[in-house]
Amino acid sequence: MAMVESQSVIYRKLAAHVFLWFFLALIIFPLLMVIAISFRTGNFAVGDIIPSNPTLDHWRLALGMSIIDESGRTIPPPFPVLLWLWNSVKVAVISAILIVALSTTCAYAFARLRFSGRSLLLKAMLIFQMFPAVLALVAYYALFSRITEYFPPLGLNTHPGLIFAYLGGIALHVWTIKGYFETIDKSLEESAMLDGASPWQAFRLILLPLSVPILAVVFILAFITAITEYPVASILLQDEAKLTLAVGSQYYLNPQEYKWGDFAAAAVMSGLPITLVFLLAQRWLVGGLTAGGVKG
Amino acid sequence: MADVKIDHLVKNYNPGVARDVLRDINLDIKEGEFVVFVGPSGCGKSTLLRAIAGLDDITSGDLYIGGKRMNDVPPVNRGVGMVFQSYALYPHMTVRENLAFGLKIKKIDKAIAKERVAQASAMLGLDSFLERKPKALSGGQRQRVAIGRALVQHPDVFLLDEPLSNLDAALRVKTRIELARMHQERGSTTIYVTHDQVEAMTLANKIVVLSPLTDDGAASNLEQFGPPLDLYHAPANRFVAGFIGSPKMNFLDGMIEEAGEQRTRIKLDTGISLTASVDSSRGRAGDKVEVGIRPEHTVMLDDPRADNRVTGTVQVAEHLGAETFVYLEVGGKDFTVKVRPETPAAPQSQFDIGVPADACYLFDAKGQAFPRTARFSRT
Repeated sequence: MAMVESQSVIYRKLAAHVFLWFFLALIIFPLLMVIAISFRTGNFAVGDIIPSNPTLDHWRLALGMSIIDESGRTIPPPFPVLLWLWNSVKVAVISAILIVALSTTCAYAFARLRFSGRSLLLKAMLIFQMFPAVLALVAYYALFSRITEYFPPLGLNTHPGLIFAYLGGIALHVWTIKGYFETIDKSLEESAMLDGASPWQAFRLILLPLSVPILAVVFILAFITAITEYPVASILLQDEAKLTLAVGSQYYLNPQEYKWGDFAAAAVMSGLPITLVFLLAQRWLVGGLTAGGVKG
Repeated sequence: MADVKIDHLVKNYNPGVARDVLRDINLDIKEGEFVVFVGPSGCGKSTLLRAIAGLDDITSGDLYIGGKRMNDVPPVNRGVGMVFQSYALYPHMTVRENLAFGLKIKKIDKAIAKERVAQASAMLGLDSFLERKPKALSGGQRQRVAIGRALVQHPDVFLLDEPLSNLDAALRVKTRIELARMHQERGSTTIYVTHDQVEAMTLANKIVVLSPLTDDGAASNLEQFGPPLDLYHAPANRFVAGFIGSPKMNFLDGMIEEAGEQRTRIKLDTGISLTASVDSSRGRAGDKVEVGIRPEHTVMLDDPRADNRVTGTVQVAEHLGAETFVYLEVGGKDFTVKVRPETPAAPQSQFDIGVPADACYLFDAKGQAFPRTARFSRT
């Protein structure tokens, strides 16, 4: 049953729709351009949005297959793009899992336990996070080069080292999860404790299952952040075989030769895992999990 | 099954900074008793219950359940089962899982657990809802699941924190009766918190009346502990008298005109004199007092028991069919009377009511009651 609307409201709705479509086009257009470039013959940044002479060469190279150019020469793929993609996914998945684990337990402490310095810690965490990681690049390098001296598996030029660096950025997630925990009635856990659950059991069996939506959100955010992160990864990783896709794809672009087509194919590929993770995680993004538990 | 003994219990959430929530509470709850904690909000009744459950620690004093000191025993080992005001059902589990959760955690033999769940579910009429989640249940059903979850634990002491406050009026009465029956059948020690004194009067073997602590340095906020009718007929002080009974007791200021062991003459501030069946031998003529008269203890003037007459101005009359309440103003104070149905009472008119001497309560300036020498009942 629609409400009766005046003429001016209808015009305003129309205007809103036009604006939204325009805005949507603005967002989608760059993506379409990148896809177009990845199918365009040669390495050109500008050209038709629907390539007049489409080719799969850039994609073949990106997927690790050799191509044969006009003169009949075999061109091997210049960079191990699939390996980079695998590196990215590996680093992002592991760091996202660890970030979720760390920030959940941390948020539980902040939301439910009373200890001195609690609010100070909470605020300090957020303030420290306000400094962009880029400004600390030198510090990152210095720290990890020192770690390399004592414990190389966690040092420079290693994936565990990079994941370790990413674990520093959980303050925001702690705040997010803490806010969610605070919406869950404390009597649920008290009841579980009366039922004989240890604090850990109350956390794992009662609080966690109810927090799945926020954990999914944090996982997605952490995953996206890790997979698109450039500055820290570019400092900590050095070997070509260890690079993440975000860092590696820059190799296509050097002042002597901008390989826009190959770059575009790699760029589109880097978007795939994010899309996949989002689609998978979407089923957990549901509301109403806590409905019916408490009243009043 | 167990008795509960509370010895000089004090609870303060932030000692030295905040005010006590509970001060010097002493209670001796016998095995199998149904004890109700009542009091206005902020009196600490829920806190006292949580302290017994072990959800809040005790600042000082001792708590014994079944003769064992429980101060430092975690909730699960106290042998208590609790029903929360909010029900606190686990929303992601079915009714069956909710009921069985505690048994599973305690690793109780599966066959026994199954039997206990079946027993509780049959007793509470939950059989057809066992596979549902809490959100698919009505308020009353959720409430029963919450009770069932405490029952399957076979607790020695059953704790209920305002369990009926979220139900509608009809369901509240029904559940109240069910609770009373359940207690009769099982006979377990039950402690029940409510702010509704009707629930307290109907359910309790004994009532504990608590008052909110203020900065006046009261020694304790436990006002009285006793059987419901004792609290009704012989309240220890003005607070209990005003809290127990519905509608509330009326209070009129005055002073003792003539003290006595059987009867006391009081001169009200409105000028009239009143005879009360109260032992005021510890008082003296001239002492400031307050007279308490319950609305249901007033009689018509033609009644032979109408020893005293009180006159007021009618504010509002409520005709409820079975009875009529007339709200009067007597000497600037509200005065409610319960009269025969359809008694005419036009607003702003003068209304005379008879007050039997046996129906009067008397409180000294500190609010402490003088002993009554008679108990009055209208019929």
